[in-house]
Amino acid sequence: MLKIEFPHKQSSHCESGVVSNLLSFHGIATSEALAFGIGTGLFFAYLPFIKLNKLPLTTYRCEAGGILKRVAKRLDCKINWQKFRDPHKAMAALDEKLAMGIPVGCRTGAYWLPYFPPAFRFHFNAHNLVVYGKDGQDYLISDPVFPNPERCAAKGLMKARFSQGALAPKGVMFYFEQVSPEIDWAAAITSGIKEVCRRMLKTPLPMAGTRGIHFLADRLEQWPKKLGPERSKLYVGQLIRMQEEIGTGGAGFRFMYAAFLQEAAAVLSNTVLLELSRKMTAAGDIWRETAVIGARICKGRASAKDTYAEMANHLRTCAREEDRIYEQLLECI
Amino acid sequence: MANGTDIPLKEKLKALIVEELRITHVAPQEITDDEPIFADKLGLDSIDAVEVVYLVEKYFDVKIKDMKEARPALQSINTLAAFIEAHCLRN
Repeated sequence: MLKIEFPHKQSSHCESGVVSNLLSFHGIATSEALAFGIGTGLFFAYLPFIKLNKLPLTTYRCEAGGILKRVAKRLDCKINWQKFRDPHKAMAALDEKLAMGIPVGCRTGAYWLPYFPPAFRFHFNAHNLVVYGKDGQDYLISDPVFPNPERCAAKGLMKARFSQGALAPKGVMFYFEQVSPEIDWAAAITSGIKEVCRRMLKTPLPMAGTRGIHFLADRLEQWPKKLGPERSKLYVGQLIRMQEEIGTGGAGFRFMYAAFLQEAAAVLSNTVLLELSRKMTAAGDIWRETAVIGARICKGRASAKDTYAEMANHLRTCAREEDRIYEQLLECI
Repeated sequence: MANGTDIPLKEKLKALIVEELRITHVAPQEITDDEPIFADKLGLDSIDAVEVVYLVEKYFDVKIKDMKEARPALQSINTLAAFIEAHCLRN
């Protein structure tokens, strides 16, 4: 059996969890929230032209792989990133790195990972995990959304690494080649905060950032008329699943960013960040209330107050609150 | 009523879930403490989980912040009650 001593820690979101665990392996203790914030993980975009399960994509986080790349850059660490066409070559490359004692991050389609309980299976092709060993035909897996390390048969892992569909992982694997002995945490945090503000306030696309939240609110209000009641419910269901289930979603990401701002306040000795952390938690609460209204609509238990218009109003409140937070963040750092 | 103060926590949770999620085919007393909440019997899924999380905060002032907390907490009535009790003690 080949087993690398790897510090598995459960996290809320796979990519920030994998980054946090890989850095910890290399002796750089980094919380998940810190990795998420430094990596500019927070984002919003409603992309109706990209379909997932034939329904429009909404994202509450940055692009897949973005956190990893930005954390590596801001912490001055070198990362190796490989993509494959041939599944067998991809598995051989993984084995080679494991034999060298290197834990390897892999991007996978979560649906095909056999250790996912059926109730939590969903088609999501950007699920990250770390492979840290091999026992016979089983790989030893640190999947950050699970409390304990898991095992996965080679066949299952290969299928998950080459899952088809939107955001197909194409065998992507990654590992740190070199980490910096000295890290400027304050600079990394400041840079991460500035970029999140820029992305949320100044992305030119009308469907991204806080403008994107307004864009979604306007579209959502029209769904019943445009799509009919049944299809509208499917759209709302997708919006909620992506908010609360896939990778912890809208409210969860806002709470995680609030935790990051708390840590940032301590590192930068800046108490304004503590107040903004509280405001971000409050924004997360509004996102969650939006999802609850949506859940009631989807499940046919909506009261007179639980309407598409009310969901849209909640979204507009989220956008306004977040606008203020990002503007204040830019003023205080 | 579900939010009465003299009802044991697990019974209160069962009543809340049945009542607020409008489950008509299962009575609160038919839910056992250790059976999965999100399974065929109750017919609940991840969308309903959003509302369960919201109900826990509304009625018990305990916030389940993310799926890291939600996954283990939402396994059964036993795990949900344990999560609420642990956080009530902490608060």
